[in-house]
Amino acid sequence: MYKMSVVGKNVRKLDSVEKVTGTANFTTDVELPGMLFGRTLRSPYPHARIVNIDTTAAEKLEGVKAVISYKNTSRVLFNTAATSTFTLPPMMPVLDQYIFDSVVRYVGDEVAAVAAVTEEIAERALSLIKVEYEILPAVFDPLEALKDEAPALHGECEAGKNIPAEKIHLEMGDVEKGFAEADFVFEHTFKVPVQKQTQMETQAAVAQVTKDGKITVYSTTQTPHPSRRILASIFEIPYSKVRVLNPPYVGGGFGVRIGLSAKAEPIAVALALQAKKPVKVVYTRTEDFIASDTRHPGYITVKTGVKKDGTLVSRKMHAILNSGAYCTWSGETPGVLGAMGLSMYRCENQMYDGHSVYTNTTPTGAMRGFGNPQAMFAIDSQMDIIAEELGIDALELRIKNMMRPGDKWVLPYQCQSTGLEECIKNGAEEIGWNQKGSFDNSGRFKRGIGVAVGTHVSNAWPFCGDYSNAYLTMQQDGSVNLAAGVPDLGTGTATTLAQMAAEVLGISFEKVSVTFGDTESTPFDIGSHASRTCYASGAAVVAAANEMKAQIFEYASKLLETYSDKIDIEEDHVYSTERPEQRISLFQVAERAHLAGIQFIGVGKVIPQNAPPYMAHFADVEVDTHTGQISVIKMVGVHDVGRAIHPQICEGQIEGGIVQGIGYALSEEVIYDKNGKQVNNNFHKYMIPTSMDVPEIKAILVESNDPSHPFGVKGVGETGLVPTAAAIANAVYNATGVRMHEIPITAERMFKAIVKNKNN
Amino acid sequence: MNQLLRMVVNSENVEIYVSPDDTLVDVLRDKLNLKGTKKGCGEGECGACTVIMNGKAVDSCMIPAIKAMDANIQTIEGISDGDKLHPLQQSFIDNGAVQCGFCTPGMIMASKALLDENSSPTPYDIKEAIAGNICRCTGYIKIEKAVQEAAEMMKHECCCHNHSKSEE
Repeated sequence: MYKMSVVGKNVRKLDSVEKVTGTANFTTDVELPGMLFGRTLRSPYPHARIVNIDTTAAEKLEGVKAVISYKNTSRVLFNTAATSTFTLPPMMPVLDQYIFDSVVRYVGDEVAAVAAVTEEIAERALSLIKVEYEILPAVFDPLEALKDEAPALHGECEAGKNIPAEKIHLEMGDVEKGFAEADFVFEHTFKVPVQKQTQMETQAAVAQVTKDGKITVYSTTQTPHPSRRILASIFEIPYSKVRVLNPPYVGGGFGVRIGLSAKAEPIAVALALQAKKPVKVVYTRTEDFIASDTRHPGYITVKTGVKKDGTLVSRKMHAILNSGAYCTWSGETPGVLGAMGLSMYRCENQMYDGHSVYTNTTPTGAMRGFGNPQAMFAIDSQMDIIAEELGIDALELRIKNMMRPGDKWVLPYQCQSTGLEECIKNGAEEIGWNQKGSFDNSGRFKRGIGVAVGTHVSNAWPFCGDYSNAYLTMQQDGSVNLAAGVPDLGTGTATTLAQMAAEVLGISFEKVSVTFGDTESTPFDIGSHASRTCYASGAAVVAAANEMKAQIFEYASKLLETYSDKIDIEEDHVYSTERPEQRISLFQVAERAHLAGIQFIGVGKVIPQNAPPYMAHFADVEVDTHTGQISVIKMVGVHDVGRAIHPQICEGQIEGGIVQGIGYALSEEVIYDKNGKQVNNNFHKYMIPTSMDVPEIKAILVESNDPSHPFGVKGVGETGLVPTAAAIANAVYNATGVRMHEIPITAERMFKAIVKNKNN
Repeated sequence: MNQLLRMVVNSENVEIYVSPDDTLVDVLRDKLNLKGTKKGCGEGECGACTVIMNGKAVDSCMIPAIKAMDANIQTIEGISDGDKLHPLQQSFIDNGAVQCGFCTPGMIMASKALLDENSSPTPYDIKEAIAGNICRCTGYIKIEKAVQEAAEMMKHECCCHNHSKSEE
C-alpha cells in the first residue's frame, strides 16, 4: 500500500476541543422553549396485573400538563432494540413491548408517566397516581423459568416455555464421532453475571412535535436511523416525518442504547403529543440501572475432545441465558456467543445449542462484547485446564489450535487474516511470561500470570442485517463535508471517517467537516454497534471518496489537458502523474467547476463482509489468601486491529475495554433480592473500577491488514473486554491453584473457594 | 422560601434567588446555563458534577445551593485563558484522554484542584485526586498520563511566566 499521509496518524480528535471546554452538547443539556419535564412511574412488583389505575389527582395538580398510561397511548407492539428493524429472515423480530402495558413484568417496568413544568412537580404527580395491582407469580432464574410450573411471561412462545426468539443451533462435522476419536474429553460449566453498562450519561430524550405532526427527538441512541423507524412505527407516521438526532454528543453507550434509549424516546414523544409542548425525559441513575438493558447472565457448558498432542477434535457448547422480562437482543446474543465461541479455534467437529429465557428481571440486551465475553470466559478457562492436564504450554496450545486463513468454521464469511500468533508472542514478552511459576508463593500473598485469547466481529452481519451509506460534497473552496448516519459515542468515529476521506481524496484533514448521528441530514446507516463504524461506515466513506475523486479527475483532465487516469491529488493539489509540475489547487478546480455549474458529490453504499479481529490478553495478579482479595498488578492487551487508522483511539478502546473486563472479572454484578428488586442499583453499591483499582495497562497494536476493507481495518470497539475475565481467572489459578468457574471473582467467592480447596 | 444567593462564578459576581432544595449543580446548569458541568448520578458518587469551590474540588450535586453563599466557584467554562486552553485541557486532548466526554469536565476540575495545590504530584496523588470521578470509557490510563503531563507543562509555563513578568 502507498504511503499514508493522514491514516495511521494521531490527528486531533474532532470532538475534543468542545469536550474539554464544556461546550459539547449532550441530550441532557438540550433545552427548548416551553419545554416540560417527564417522569415515569415504575412497577414495585416483579410481576403483576394492573387492575385499576386512577390518574385524576395527578392530572389536577397545578403544573401538570400530561399524564399517560396504557389507557391513552399507542397499542403498537415494538422492541426497543434496533434488532427489530434488521432481523434477517428466516428469523423474525420479536415484538413484545408496549410503551405501557396492563401487565408489569419486572421491578421498574413502566406503569405511567407525567409531564409537568418542573421535574419536582412531575415527581409529586407520580405519587398521586393510584394503582391497584394483582400480584402474579414471578420467576428470576432462567433454568427455573423453563419448568412447567413457572409462570409464562408472554403467553405461549413458539420455541418453548418462556423462550423468546429462537433456539440457536450451529453444527459442523460430527461431534460424537469426534469425541470417540479423542484421547481426552473435558466438560465444564461456567456461570456469568449480570453486568451493567453504566455509561456516564443516563438514558435521555427530548421530543418536540410540530403542529403539522412532525416529530423531532434529540436522543442518546447509538443508532438514530433504526430508532427513527421504531418510533415511526409506534406512532404510526411516515418515517420521513420523524427526525432522530444526537445533539450531537452521546455520553457513552456500550450497547445499552442500540435502538431506543430504553423507553426515554417513546415516553417523551407520547407526553409531547398529549401536552403539545416539547418534553424532556432524563433517567435517574437508579432508573438507568433498573429499567434499561443489562448484559445477559447465564450458564455455559463446554465439552471438548482433544488428542494427546493438544489438537482439538471435537467441541460442543451449550448456553442458557437470562433474557429478563423482554426480548430486546435475546435472539442474537446466544447466536454471537455460540458462533464466536466455536470460531476461536480450529476444530473439525463442533456443535452449539443456546437460547435465552424470559424471567421477571430487568431486560438483558447488548453490552460491549455481546455474548462474546461470556463465551471466552468459558472457552479460554477450559483451554487453560486442557493445557495443564496435557502438560502443554498455555501459549503453545493456543497457537497450535488457533483459526488461520483457509480453515473451516461455522460462519458464512472467511477468516482472511490473523495476527494472533504475533499478539501472543508480543504479549508474552511484555508480561514476562517466563516468570510464570517462579514467584515465591509460600506466604499469604500468591502471585500468578495468566493468558486468554479472543476474537470478535467488525460489523453485525450475519447476526442481523448490516449496511452503510455516506456521502461527500466538495465545497467551492475544495473543502469537504462528510455526512454519515453513525453517531460518535466518543469512540472517535467522526475523526477516523474524516481521516479516511482525507486520505483517499489527497486533501488535508483540517478541510473535512463531518455531519453525523442525524436522520435528516445523513443517509441510512445502521449505527454504532458491533465494532462496525470504522469498518462498515468507513468503507462507505471510502467508496464515496473514490466516486468524488473520479468526478474530480474527469473534470480536471480538461484543465490539465491530460487523461483522467493520468491524474492524482496530493496536499490539496491536483496534478498530472506524467508531468507532476502541471498542478492546480483543488480550490481552483472546485471553483472552476462551480462556475460551470458542477459540484463534486460522492455517494458510497456498502454492504460489508466481516473480518475477525484477534487479541491476546495477559494478566499478572496477586491474591491475598487470607481475605480473598485479588489485586491486578498488570494487564497487557495485544490486538490485531487490521490497520490502526488512529493508533491512539485504538489504544483508548483497548484500555477502556480492559478496565470494564476487570470489573466483569472481579467486582461487577447486579444482584436481585428474592422479590426481584435490584440490590445494588446505584454507583455506591455497584462496584465499577475507579482509578484506584486500575493497574498498569499496556495496549499493543498488531496490523494484519484485512483484505475485506479498503484500509485493512478490523473492529476494535469491543475487543478489550472479550478475553479479560478469562485471562484474570487463569492468572488467579496460576497463583492459587484454585479454578474459578464463576465470575465476578469477588473476595468472598475467592476466599470461600480457597477454604474449600484446602479442605479437599 | 427563596433566598438570595451571592457568589462568584468564574470571576463574575452572581446574585440569584434559590430555593432550599436547589443544589449547586442545578443552579449552575439550569439557572446560570453553565451546562459544561454534568450530572451523572445526583448522589455524589460519579464526580461528573465536580467544580472547584473555594479552592477545593466538590461534587456540586451534594452542595445545597445556599451553602455556596459568598463562595468562589470555578467551572469548566472558566478555566481557559480566552482562546488559550488551560494546560489540563490541552493535555487531555493531546493524550487522547477524552472519549465520550461526559466525565471530562469533572475530571479536569478534580485534576485542576490537585495541581493548584500540588505542582509535582506523584502518580498516586493523581489517582487519589480523581478517585471520586468515574470514567467508563478510557480506563483512566490516558487521563492519568494527561494530568501528569499537564503538571509538567504548568511548571514549565510557570517559570517562563516568572521570567517575563515580575509581579502582578
